Amino acid sequence: MTPRDKTRFCAHGFRTNSHATTGRSDMAACVKGLDKFTFSLRLIRNLQLQNERYLSTSLCRSAPESNADPPRFIPPSKPVIIDKTQPEASKRKFLSPEFIPPRQRTDPVKFSMERKDMIRRRKVLDIPEFYVGSILAVTMADPNASGKVNRFVGICIQRGGKGLGATFVLRNIINNQGVEICYEVYSPRIQKIEVLKLEKRLDDNLMYLRDALPEYSTVDPDMKPVNYSHTGEVPVNKIKVRMRPKPWSKRWERPNFDIQGIRFDLCLTPEQMAHAQKWAKPWEEYDMLKEYDTSQLEKEIFLEVQQEMNK
Amino acid sequence: MAAWSCRFLLQRGTRLISLRAAAESPVQLVGCVRTYMRKNEPWQRHEWTEGSRRVGLVAVKLGMAPIWTTTGERHVVTMLQVQDCHVIKYLPKEEYDGCTAALIVGGKNVSPFYRSESELEMFRNAGVPPKQKVTTFKVSDNALIKPGTPLYAAHFRPGQYVDVTAKSIGKGFQGVMKRWGFKGQPATHGQTKTHRRPGASGPGGDPAKVFKGKKMPGKMGNTYITAHGLKIWRVNTKHNVLYVHGSVPGHRNCLLKVRDTALPTRSSTLLNPPFPTYFSEEEADLDEDLYDDNLFFHTEPSLTLT
Repeated sequence: MTPRDKTRFCAHGFRTNSHATTGRSDMAACVKGLDKFTFSLRLIRNLQLQNERYLSTSLCRSAPESNADPPRFIPPSKPVIIDKTQPEASKRKFLSPEFIPPRQRTDPVKFSMERKDMIRRRKVLDIPEFYVGSILAVTMADPNASGKVNRFVGICIQRGGKGLGATFVLRNIINNQGVEICYEVYSPRIQKIEVLKLEKRLDDNLMYLRDALPEYSTVDPDMKPVNYSHTGEVPVNKIKVRMRPKPWSKRWERPNFDIQGIRFDLCLTPEQMAHAQKWAKPWEEYDMLKEYDTSQLEKEIFLEVQQEMNK
Repeated sequence: MAAWSCRFLLQRGTRLISLRAAAESPVQLVGCVRTYMRKNEPWQRHEWTEGSRRVGLVAVKLGMAPIWTTTGERHVVTMLQVQDCHVIKYLPKEEYDGCTAALIVGGKNVSPFYRSESELEMFRNAGVPPKQKVTTFKVSDNALIKPGTPLYAAHFRPGQYVDVTAKSIGKGFQGVMKRWGFKGQPATHGQTKTHRRPGASGPGGDPAKVFKGKKMPGKMGNTYITAHGLKIWRVNTKHNVLYVHGSVPGHRNCLLKVRDTALPTRSSTLLNPPFPTYFSEEEADLDEDLYDDNLFFHTEPSLTLT
């Protein structure tokens, strides 16, 4: 049985026995929990996507993602270990922000019913993990489009709303015209959401891209998906954007927006920056009535969502 | 006169006979009171006929959510939860208004410590805990229900239309622009201290008075408002939640009165409703969620519009 066959066999969720892993006693120190791993279908699919590379046994951590030399085939000399050093727990925990209920005097029954509907929709349509700053492609049913579907690629500049009405805004520049489309995550017209590039930015809201130079909002519509790992931290793009001359649509230099991702030194003088700090509210950080600690809620909801999705 | 004496006898009878005792000796009732006033027997059920009115429910407003139809249109719905709704009392037509009989229905359970003795007595007679909202529903004679029966959300079915009555959100003392939608005066061009005032209050010397009912500033909101003709998109029988089209007066967690529509154009949707109400013992085979035909439910695959 070739190692590749063993992968496929394993992909159906059977546990392999230790007798299959002969000849790796020297690697035993590296490999942990040999008998106790569980396979994740998604991981295997992802691995198969990554140019059919398998995790090298000498590495106990996640596989390197370099596609530097695609034609070079690395034959796995040793029996393949898929994800044995990475049990389910090390997969990145992500709870979509629309699951967390806002701070309101609403009956929790309403939120739990909405969550059930959201989970039902997620079982039909795969809504991937994405952040503001990631590049997405959305295919939506459109009665007026030729072929009845409409594909739009753009950078996500905002994620808003809670519950079933959650939205995200994708921005792109097409034929020198800036276009922003606000999609509802749970709309039944959406047929596919693909994450072409998963990354975060320095801010949660990239509305300032409207006043930035167009090169920062342009995304190639025929872009190929960039592989990303499901473990570890999400890469943060620390780019600082250059802006067009003022006036802007909003006064982005003011502290209420708290923007880190603009190169203010190129467009504003230090006097203007100091003037903008007049609108600072340093007491807000100590305001106890504005506190909303969601850590406990997040844990409970994450467990609930995970259990329901795995059913 | 006869009605009063019957009621007196009934009250005496209820004090003598405990709720748990079987009806060995039904109370001897006089005159106009019908035979189904016996304590522990279910009341007679009739079939639905054209023009009969059935009882409504008392529900709690949970919040709003979006829904989508099978053609991809998006609408908003309000979720109303029916919490502990019981029939509390039956008022025969002589007692109520001489024309129609009425049923008193109560909503959410509350603590008995803050209710007066007369109210508590009414709840005790019905055998239900004290309720926060108590309303009367006009009901035709074939739709009478025994006091103490619980009412559930499955009383209404998807595709049906309802009227929802509730107290609107109180706005306090408001000026004429917000309360009545007056246009006010311009902000500039020489206006002296007059930007949101009502302006003239009526014609001049002939009436030489201001007519009654003149729109003026005053307390706005906190009155009973009815939203008519709201479609029911979905009924959840597990949590007793109704998904009702559009918005509904009242704040979140307020109590509302929900009835079948009085609109004549929508009465055709009310064919074969559960009459007089939905009894969970008999119709126990309802799905957890009942959907309207045009509603998209999330277990279906994504829409492909053609």
